[in-house]
Amino acid sequence: MIEFKDVHKWFGELHVLKGINLKVESAEVLVVCGPSGSGKSTLIRCINRLERIQKGELIIDTMKVHDSKANMTKLRAEIGFVFQQFNLYPHMTALQNVTLAPMKVRKTPKKEAEDQGRYVLEKVGLADKLHQFPAQLSGGQQQRVAIARGLCMRPKIMLFDEPTSALDPEMINEVLEVMRNLAREGMTMIVVTHEMGFAREVSHRVAFMDFGELIEIAPPGEFFAHPKSERTKLFLSKILTH
Amino acid sequence: MWGFYIEQLIHSLPFFLKGLWMTIAVSGLSLLAGTVIGFIWGIVRASRSRFAKPLIGAWVDVIRGTPFLVQIFIIFFLFPEIGIQLEAFPAAVIALTNLAACFICEIVAAGILSVPLGQKEAATSTGLNWFQQLRYVIMPQSMRVVLPPLVGQYVLLIKDSSVVSAIGVSDVTRVGWLTVQRIPQGLLVFGLVAVLYFVICYPLIQLSNRLEKRMSVGYTRGKE
Repeated sequence: MIEFKDVHKWFGELHVLKGINLKVESAEVLVVCGPSGSGKSTLIRCINRLERIQKGELIIDTMKVHDSKANMTKLRAEIGFVFQQFNLYPHMTALQNVTLAPMKVRKTPKKEAEDQGRYVLEKVGLADKLHQFPAQLSGGQQQRVAIARGLCMRPKIMLFDEPTSALDPEMINEVLEVMRNLAREGMTMIVVTHEMGFAREVSHRVAFMDFGELIEIAPPGEFFAHPKSERTKLFLSKILTH
Repeated sequence: MWGFYIEQLIHSLPFFLKGLWMTIAVSGLSLLAGTVIGFIWGIVRASRSRFAKPLIGAWVDVIRGTPFLVQIFIIFFLFPEIGIQLEAFPAAVIALTNLAACFICEIVAAGILSVPLGQKEAATSTGLNWFQQLRYVIMPQSMRVVLPPLVGQYVLLIKDSSVVSAIGVSDVTRVGWLTVQRIPQGLLVFGLVAVLYFVICYPLIQLSNRLEKRMSVGYTRGKE
């Protein structure tokens, strides 16, 4: 479903992705972890071309993302993206936030878009917050609206860029719960996160990145019990203190 | 003595009102056109366009770095050189429109750049195209930053319109010049001119203040 073939990316002089090879199957949940600056956010931002790759191939279904003629509007409509900082539209209510893209990109009639928006917001546990503005919601609630905004486009893939890193600890679980449910429904997901509990419990594979390279990728049982690379071991020893 | 002059001044009041009307016409037309052009330039200036952006930047610098009086003379005397007869009125409107567009362009560009990049990324990631992003996500948010100084700029431009009297447009300033030759009481005559400008500018100043207060509350309410 998603395939990276020798993907390279530079920010000026900085080589942030150094030949990534990766295949993600449909309905797979892949967790990507690694120290900050390792290129994990860049990796998923390339998938819907928030960042452009400079070398290699990146193919989604049959669409070539690396091709400058690719129909990005169509592709992006199929891929939900959840940001660390939520990035909700502050001038719109929760319901308006989730219905904007369906109405403007998919040309869904307003009534239908709102029905669907209500349904999805209910699904993420925000049935009573439809008409609240982002500033009136807690961080966890905002992030759930952001997930709902992605889901309202009926995407085939959902990408999460450290979705719980900006949240207070007591709000992390409500967001992870929504993500667990999504995984159970068979959504294809790539999740950049340090929530190793989530990785262990929900993911099919865990990938470790460092200095722009994909060091190791394995099912969670194996990844946590018998990491192969020294760098992975070191990283895990640092974050698995609890 | 003053009583006599005041009486004379009251007699020439229709003349002043005509001048006021001319000031309103020149400023109104210029602000309208200047706002439209200024928004377009501002959007380009905040974009990543490689050609148009520096071009507009350079033009804005030239206009901001030269006196309006000189600009208006150049426009008034330039067009006949290239074979176009231009009346004082359209020359004034062109010059003031250009000046307005340059200042408004800067305000709009600053407003657009004040919207966090994440907003654009969020809109991009859901498949909204460039225009839809601008229309539904970026512009509504940048208006909070744009509106108060925009209205403030209108006030400055209305006052700058007094310069068009130099090429013979019979605006309220020129009416003052003409009147003071008959009624040799500069203080009185230009006092009246000042009052007339103030009457149109003051509501705008109030509006700008009110917008500033309203916009600064905005949507951070309820959480900080």
